[in-house]
Amino acid sequence: MSAWSQLLGCLYKDLLIGWRGRARLIGLGAYALVLLLLFAFAIGADPVALREHAPAYVWLAVLSASTLLLVQSFQQEVEGGALEGLLLLPTDPFALYYGKAIANLLILTLLTLLSFPIAAILYDVSLLGAPLALTGVVVLGCAGLAAPGTLYAALTARTQAQQLLLPVLLFPLVVPPMLAVVRATSLCVAGDPMGQLSSWVGLLGVFDILYWSLGGYLFARLVEE
Amino acid sequence: MNGVVEGGWGYVIAAYALSWGTWVAYLLLLKVRSRS
Amino acid sequence: MKWEAIAGGLGFAVVGVAHAFGLFVAPSEAAMGETGRMLYLHVPTAWAGMGSFLVAFVGAIGVLWTGGKRWDALVESAVEVGIVMSVLLTVQGSLWARPTWGTWWTWDPRLTTTAVMVVAFAGVLVLRHLVHRPERRAMASAVATIASFADVPVVYLSVKWWRSLHQPISNAGTVDTLMLVPFLVACFGMLFVCAALIGSRWRLAMSRLEREDRASDLPDRPVPLSLEGRP
Repeated sequence: MSAWSQLLGCLYKDLLIGWRGRARLIGLGAYALVLLLLFAFAIGADPVALREHAPAYVWLAVLSASTLLLVQSFQQEVEGGALEGLLLLPTDPFALYYGKAIANLLILTLLTLLSFPIAAILYDVSLLGAPLALTGVVVLGCAGLAAPGTLYAALTARTQAQQLLLPVLLFPLVVPPMLAVVRATSLCVAGDPMGQLSSWVGLLGVFDILYWSLGGYLFARLVEE
Repeated sequence: MNGVVEGGWGYVIAAYALSWGTWVAYLLLLKVRSRS
Repeated sequence: MKWEAIAGGLGFAVVGVAHAFGLFVAPSEAAMGETGRMLYLHVPTAWAGMGSFLVAFVGAIGVLWTGGKRWDALVESAVEVGIVMSVLLTVQGSLWARPTWGTWWTWDPRLTTTAVMVVAFAGVLVLRHLVHRPERRAMASAVATIASFADVPVVYLSVKWWRSLHQPISNAGTVDTLMLVPFLVACFGMLFVCAALIGSRWRLAMSRLEREDRASDLPDRPVPLSLEGRP
């Protein structure tokens, strides 16, 4: 099997697992919704503040929900030794990693895009300023979460305190994409008078390229032994 | 000599004391851990 | 005598002299007044922190490249020393910020990046405590160290841009020649101190890894696959 078809095979596998466990994904959406509500309660009934920081709340909710998604990302593989089985096939570890990372990327993108209309209602902000650009920014931002997240999910898969370790390791790492994506989202939504969007998108792009390449290589070394 | 910023000495001494204290403490800690 | 003792003794002596000179002999800085004297402390500590994490990064590459306890011990010791230095750096930055700008925290890119690095590398140490099998632990720490270190320039850049949106970043200013000497001497001495601390910590890490190696010669009780990683 060529590397490409292995990749697509792994991606299909992970999306299928996601679809079969779609109750869990719906739960993820509910979690994000609850967080959006909580942010509003915590900030208070201040429409100006809520409107201004709406992108931040959305991305914080997505970041938090991503932990729940990623933690069980490798659960199936670890239980019952499926990971060893896959590697013995032999499956190219790059295909394993990128298949899973892309699946996580798609799920996170879907989650974020679904959160926007809810945020638009809750925080009274129009998020349709530049829909195409916004979608692009969302994909890049979720990519910044998916690549290092999938790597760390594999890394912490067999540890005792995976639910603690994954966010503790992941969150400092994703400071740059989070910073950049919130800025970029604000600019897409509220307008970009000084043309800063390209710089933030550039930063996101650099991070994504760095961690999508580094992640594959490190994952391969990780599962080697 | 007075600079533009007033009252800096206290903070300067605190920073130096804290830093040296930390280095010495860490060194002692290493010595103790090596012995056990 | 172990090399770390010599290096450490020398380093501390050199730094001590530089600090004494900087505190009591050198003139106070034009714009910053007495707080400028923190330069002899702050910048060498920054070098020590960054240098330690760089050593950890090299060690992590060594773990991936060749494996072996020596490289893993280097990762452990360099990360720990790096965290000590970086936490200290953050506190120093706070003590500098308070008299200079009136707040305990400024979102200065270097300070903020250091804070993020502390959390990232502290995560590596936490990871080491929660993974029990030595080979997995070594591999996991190496991967996490490499990922965290590769992030440092990106974090710095992003915080710098983010900050520049709200206010221009003020520079520490140029350094007068009489202040340059204790400054450089302190930096130089600090590198020796850092090396000595990493070296001592490395010995400790090696002895622990070797002890662990010997202990595992006891027969393993059979463990089902899904419970791997738990003690």
